[in-house]
Amino acid sequence: MGRSPLLLSVPVAVGYVPLGAVFGFLFVQAGGAWWMAIASSVLIYAGASQFMMIPMLTAGLPIGSIALATLVVNLRHVFYGLSLLHLVPKNGLAKFYLIFGLTDETYSLLTTLPAETTPMQRVWLTLINQMWWVSGTALGAVLGSQVQTQLAGLDFALVALFAVLVVEQWRARSSAKPLWVALLSYPVAWLIWPAHALLAAIGMSVVAAIWLDWITHGR
Amino acid sequence: MDDSTYVILTIVAMGAVTFAIRALPFMTGRWLQRHPQVQRLGRFLPLSIMVLLTLHSLRDIAGSWAGQLWPEVLALTLVIGLQWWRRHALLSIAVGTLLYLWLRNGF
Repeated sequence: MGRSPLLLSVPVAVGYVPLGAVFGFLFVQAGGAWWMAIASSVLIYAGASQFMMIPMLTAGLPIGSIALATLVVNLRHVFYGLSLLHLVPKNGLAKFYLIFGLTDETYSLLTTLPAETTPMQRVWLTLINQMWWVSGTALGAVLGSQVQTQLAGLDFALVALFAVLVVEQWRARSSAKPLWVALLSYPVAWLIWPAHALLAAIGMSVVAAIWLDWITHGR
Repeated sequence: MDDSTYVILTIVAMGAVTFAIRALPFMTGRWLQRHPQVQRLGRFLPLSIMVLLTLHSLRDIAGSWAGQLWPEVLALTLVIGLQWWRRHALLSIAVGTLLYLWLRNGF
């Protein structure tokens, strides 16, 4: 049997509850309704892209553009399923949920579980992890709708979060090229299309990534 | 953010896209394994995207302050340094944001 899923998810809780709270807080402070923050954590359940949606929603970007940016940010999740193909339950709904809940943290936990872990234990673990994320979000959203902050610059937390993700992505990098591509494309995008600089820069980075891959590896 | 329909539709679209990405290997696992360029793209892009999001949200914030940008530079340096040193996301975010609040509000 091994340890219970609840115990195994404690390290995830330590990260998910406070980070979920930061998301809920910032979402509400940016003008979103508290229940929409919770709906995001229930229906999307993907940390980085949920944080990304805050500035995009306040900028009023088209839904198609936000969906495209979500695709790019979450592209790495495509490869999570590959290492779990044989571990998912046969049951339709349980299988559906485990695939839905495949975040970075859940993936790394699921892949390190002992081999005798049953598929249903994996599903429970996935569900408990999302519970932490949703509870954190609710906590932050309620707090954010109570507090009328007079402090200017609280939204720096969002910059800080993205910077943290940059450092962690940098540790896992295979080259420095993604950094240079981004540092070059943003100013260029800003110059030619200031109103949609983020979207233009993402587009330029994708094209540059494909082009660089084509040069180094051929077709 | 005032238009509920817009926010709800965005949430639904993002949820659908995220689920589709996570479900893809369960439908086309072999196709993905045969296309290493897609895998390399998946390793390349996240770092670029995070850098772009940092720059963009930084520009949003800096835009609301006229003139000097040294508080942004100082706080961002602290966040990156702390994260590099301690690898504790929450600590880096909290300390960096507190420093920024202090620099901008001066209490």
